[in-house]
Amino acid sequence: MNALVALCHFCELHGPRTLFCTEALHPPSPSPPQPGSAIPGDRDREADREGEGLTMRANSSATQRADMCEGCRSLPASHPGFVSVDSETGIRYLSHQHPRQPQLFSVVRQACVRSLSCEVCPGREGPIFFGDEQHGFVFSHTFFIKDSLARGFQRWYSIVVVAMDRIYLINSWPFLLRHLRQTIQSLQDTALKVFDNEQCVCPQRAVRMNSAFSPAVFPHQRSGNAARSLTSLTQHPNLWASLHSSFSWLLKACGSRLTEKLLEGAPTEDTLVLIERQTEQEEEMSGWEGAEGGGSNPQPSQSESVHSKDFQFDDGRQEDLLGPKFKSLRHLRQVLGANDFRQLTWHVLMGNQVIWRGADPGLIQSAFNVLKALLPVGCVRAVSYSPHYEEAYRCNFLGLSPDVPIPAHVSSSEFSMLVDVHNVERGCVNPVSDDDILSLYQFNISSANTQPTDKGPTLLNKIEVALSNGNLSVEVVSLCLLCLKEEWMNKVKVLFKFSKVDGRGKEDTQKVLALLGATGPGEEDNVRLLKFWMTGLSKLYKSHLMTSTSNTGSSAS
Amino acid sequence: MNVLITVTCVSLSFSWASAEFDLAQIRLIVYQDCEKRGRQVLFDSKAIHKLDTSEPVTCKNPIVTVSFILKTADETKTPPNRSGACHIGSQAGDKDKPPSYQYTRPASDVNMIGEMMFGSVSMSYKGSTLKIHHIRSPPQLMVSKVFSTRFGSSTSGSTNTYVSCFFSSVSRLQGLTSRFQMGPHFCRSHSNPVDMPSRGHSEDGDSGIARSASLSSLLATPLPSPGSSFSSGLSSSYQRRWLRSQATSLQHGPMPRWNTEEMFNLSDESCNSNPAMIQRKKIAISIIISLPEREEENHNFQEFFFSHFPLFESHMNKLKTAIERAMIVCRRIAESSQRVQVYLCRVMEALGEFRMTVWNLYMAPRISEPVWLSMISQSTERNLLCQRFLKEMSLLMEHGAKSQFLAALLTAVLTHHLAWVSTVMPSSLPPIKSACQKPASQTVDLLAKSHPYNPLWAQLGDLYGALGSPVRVCRTVVVGRKRELVQRVLYVLSYFIRCSDLQEHVQPQGQMDNPASPCTSQTTDPTPEKTCPPKPDPLKPTACVIGTSEKALNSDLGNAIPGTSVEQNHEILLTDTNSTSPSPSSESTAVRPEFTEMGQECFGEDSDSVGGGLEHILANQSPLLHRVQFHIGSPSETANDGQAGGLTGAGCGRGLDRKLHQRLLSDIRRKESSDSALGDSDDEETSPRELYGATEQNEYELPLPSCQVESRASVNHFGHSLLGGYCPQYMPDFALHGISSDLRLKQCLMADLEHTVLHPALDEPVAEALCIVADTDRLSVQVVTSQRRVCEGGRLGRDVMVSNLVHTLITSVLQLFALNIASDFCVMHLEDRLQEVYFKSRSLAEYLRGQTRVHVKELGLALGIESSDIPLLAAVASTHSPYVAQILL
Repeated sequence: MNALVALCHFCELHGPRTLFCTEALHPPSPSPPQPGSAIPGDRDREADREGEGLTMRANSSATQRADMCEGCRSLPASHPGFVSVDSETGIRYLSHQHPRQPQLFSVVRQACVRSLSCEVCPGREGPIFFGDEQHGFVFSHTFFIKDSLARGFQRWYSIVVVAMDRIYLINSWPFLLRHLRQTIQSLQDTALKVFDNEQCVCPQRAVRMNSAFSPAVFPHQRSGNAARSLTSLTQHPNLWASLHSSFSWLLKACGSRLTEKLLEGAPTEDTLVLIERQTEQEEEMSGWEGAEGGGSNPQPSQSESVHSKDFQFDDGRQEDLLGPKFKSLRHLRQVLGANDFRQLTWHVLMGNQVIWRGADPGLIQSAFNVLKALLPVGCVRAVSYSPHYEEAYRCNFLGLSPDVPIPAHVSSSEFSMLVDVHNVERGCVNPVSDDDILSLYQFNISSANTQPTDKGPTLLNKIEVALSNGNLSVEVVSLCLLCLKEEWMNKVKVLFKFSKVDGRGKEDTQKVLALLGATGPGEEDNVRLLKFWMTGLSKLYKSHLMTSTSNTGSSAS
Repeated sequence: MNVLITVTCVSLSFSWASAEFDLAQIRLIVYQDCEKRGRQVLFDSKAIHKLDTSEPVTCKNPIVTVSFILKTADETKTPPNRSGACHIGSQAGDKDKPPSYQYTRPASDVNMIGEMMFGSVSMSYKGSTLKIHHIRSPPQLMVSKVFSTRFGSSTSGSTNTYVSCFFSSVSRLQGLTSRFQMGPHFCRSHSNPVDMPSRGHSEDGDSGIARSASLSSLLATPLPSPGSSFSSGLSSSYQRRWLRSQATSLQHGPMPRWNTEEMFNLSDESCNSNPAMIQRKKIAISIIISLPEREEENHNFQEFFFSHFPLFESHMNKLKTAIERAMIVCRRIAESSQRVQVYLCRVMEALGEFRMTVWNLYMAPRISEPVWLSMISQSTERNLLCQRFLKEMSLLMEHGAKSQFLAALLTAVLTHHLAWVSTVMPSSLPPIKSACQKPASQTVDLLAKSHPYNPLWAQLGDLYGALGSPVRVCRTVVVGRKRELVQRVLYVLSYFIRCSDLQEHVQPQGQMDNPASPCTSQTTDPTPEKTCPPKPDPLKPTACVIGTSEKALNSDLGNAIPGTSVEQNHEILLTDTNSTSPSPSSESTAVRPEFTEMGQECFGEDSDSVGGGLEHILANQSPLLHRVQFHIGSPSETANDGQAGGLTGAGCGRGLDRKLHQRLLSDIRRKESSDSALGDSDDEETSPRELYGATEQNEYELPLPSCQVESRASVNHFGHSLLGGYCPQYMPDFALHGISSDLRLKQCLMADLEHTVLHPALDEPVAEALCIVADTDRLSVQVVTSQRRVCEGGRLGRDVMVSNLVHTLITSVLQLFALNIASDFCVMHLEDRLQEVYFKSRSLAEYLRGQTRVHVKELGLALGIESSDIPLLAAVASTHSPYVAQILL
């Protein structure tokens, strides 16, 4: 808990005194909400505090020691104090006579004075809450400890819990009261036994009755007696260590008394797929233990991005390949022209095999990186640059070197398209900027597809609107694309549940398509897209739907 | 078809409190503490009786209540000073003659209460002070707020001074009841204010500790945007909690956050003060609540009171404002008896209001099974819950189909009760348990452990939707004569108005060795003659051993002895080893062998004696003990890490901290060489201080005790208490509730919203307070705000524009449900669709970055965001991108 606990004593000679104080030091700002938003000046303050702490502590103990008696003291000045570390959280619980943090010194002092000489508690023993924004808030419990030598045979103490969070402290009242009572009871019981024992040995009442009162001697006598420490009153040799443990526990237990369960959204399908791929890869790697495995990773950059999680936008991240690159979908669209771009992206979205053939692997890779963003991660199988043709079931993105022949069954298939990248003869010696891809390359797009690509899918139509609007930044377009993809993934999930899990008939499926907004113009393309995207659902999701159906029984049909 | 669906019925509300709560149990005392005149009681409800005895002084009296409300409504429209005057004039001629009151003999406890309110020494602090006392007999709780008084500005040349006009009224009031006056004798002789060692603002500046400035400005101003990337998307739920833990951290020292200058305001333009006559004066208001006699009821009420304190306090502030106003108003009345009557009457009315609110807060029915909280707390019932929820939502959809009632209501609720946003923000972590269930936030969990904040406070903010920027708080009231329909609406909304679920961790009843008791097992026999010297500090090394072996022990013993915590052993160790504690608990006996083993393992092969010593410590019997114990811990033997270099922790358990271990070993080593150390540790005064010096800053490390805790669902949390059922009366606190008539709502709402902005129960500044009013009879949904006072046609607020996103969302979810798709899938789809709303808000936020004008058409074309969606999306966006609010304003 964001609080400290202190034991205070009303010394007969010196008034209210802080005896023992346990504070919780929290690890320095563990994970600020985001980089850069840490509280300004936090570090400076930390430094200040260190410096201040030493001086102030030295000063205070020097001044205090002068007028301190045994009763006002807990640990000897030489004692280094106690510490307990909560290894789980890194919180350190420190106990000294006075708080180590200088800014808390006066807060505790104030709490001590108020609890023992300002605030009034009916019956003098019991709990009070008091405080204000400037001095902090205090839960105080006053109590007596038996002392055969003290005036009235008892001494007055209080335990204060100080916090800045008023509401938290008040919320904790029942808890604090319950446990401080135990602490106090235990101290009182122990002291009572000592008291009884001492009274047996030497009944003080009789001594006092019999001793002649002499004004001259009296003050001296009293001051001598006033100096009994709590250790001596309880005859508890480990009192302070025990109190440290009690107070530390109290702070910890009070802070963790209530815990909240706060849910966040389920991970997106893309995240799940990436995690699955990473796990698979790790299993593969461990299978090959020791072998040179790096080169055979199909998607090293993707699996890394699970950590960074901004895989959606890492268009810029390319291998170390030099040369011109496609930077964004919009850039690709500018280079290819609207028509070719439409064709190309249509094939990508339909799940057809998209083959790029050219001499510059960096350029082709960059094209794939940009195009991959159109699809759910689970739908992307890319072979970025290969010396021979790879079948469509192995990859929907395939990069080939210029001289690799395309098998006839592929080039005649309507489910594939080929982009040939030709180097433009450079007539001039002027250095060409990398950005100017068109001056370097020529692109030929060919496909056996006879279907119109200009109707749907709806998703593509919307993306094109965003891409063609120059007012929208690349980031906005990216987010827009993400929205569209998530929207359509949600439709995919419904369709999967409906057709694959529940196995509904055509008529019902049509209803679902309608309610999903997949019907209308471009319906055919929408359905193709949905079916293709279904293959990209995570295994986890699919198996969850399958098992949950068998569990819940016949909620459907 | 599923049979289960047919069984569903509308949720039954349940009553909260276990017993009746008598209104007279709440007593109000107003006290004044003046430098010169001492303490005077200005009001004590216990000493006031209604002259018309046929009507008991309770707030159940409809006349009192209603007349008060009308007055409040009047006053809010015109400046207080004028309306106050008008009001009194009009009241005199009212047909409902206000009740007249009479002081009787003051209760015998007022002196004591005055002492408790102000303290025996008055404080120089200018701000308001809060106090809570527990009075044992008769059992009562007393909450006091002590204010400094503020008087009017001294610019005007009015002949009336504040002091004269106020005191004239007060003294006459007291003259009327002569025995009521306390007189100066009551004021203790030590009335000199104590100047506390306070940290002035100058000190803040000097020390260079940028505390209040940086933090409070952070609180008031929006956080920097998380950026366009999704990777940094930590929810505003997290940020709120983190900031709270920082803002209330003791490590920053006292840091007045806001509202520190809250005073008792007696300024009145028509009655200006003479600065020369201003005295130090404080006014304190106390609410004393008699606690139920029965132990269980007493316990329940206290648990409720302390967990709901922010709400109690907020109502107390309202009461305070009413008392201020009563004092200002009454002193304008020349005739003394009438003045007293007006004063008493007004304060009694305000008290009646307070009593009724508290009563309602405690007694009003609640939604017995809020959908969201039930779903996240009990996973086994999930399917049933989903079914019932969708069924109810379908019925509701049919009911208000034409007017799009449900879509409008959900648009408003999703726009303002924003806690749902963080529950759909995609997690970046792999699911732990079942695949597609929402994971619990691990970042928040970690934060709560390392930087504790108040989960109750967090929950309150969630429920009121205080997650956007600027901070707005919202409540929803469902009005309608048809109980079943209203309850259905409430039930459905309890899915969308979300908050975290709270768990309570408590020690089981009757646990013997309590870490809170420092002297647990020692109490049997202190035997002072035999005890060791006062401060041998024998603990350190032994404790180190325990601390370091704790992990191993935990794993070993946790299974072996269920229900035993390792720290119980530690307790035993900490106790005086000489005590003849007759019965070490069975657990500890069982623990011993393992522990010994562990100890020996730690010490390695050449430490037989120590290992044996440890065993004996546990056994609490060996005579050898003295020796061993003192050896280890003699403070004269400061640990020197360097000397331990040769000894490595070969035999240590995993959890053993190497450094500690070395220290430990060196201690033991050295002890073995200097054996007769008994006397050394005898007295701290004789021990050579130089050895410690100021340089030795390393505290002795002790293990952190812990004890077995039982986790259980928390009962007294806002998720249960602020989701109200179909209540007999409008409630100003509930995040959600239903009522049959909006009469009282109309009377109170504006004042309540204004009060919320001035004294938010949330304990942080609030920019705007809102209330969604859904009328199931007229099928209308309106939003009332504290910022707009007058609406056309006498209506409360403005109608809600249905968001197209929300409309399609509900439609498709319910259509899926109608197509007999499994209900838990439908609910998952609903969550997916809500997530889409979140993603859209990200696009909107990104679109707005750097924009000065919003092109609605462009939004629609490019981002698929229609104009009807903009308020919703902007509100959602403000939770992750605070700059959005500034652009859209």
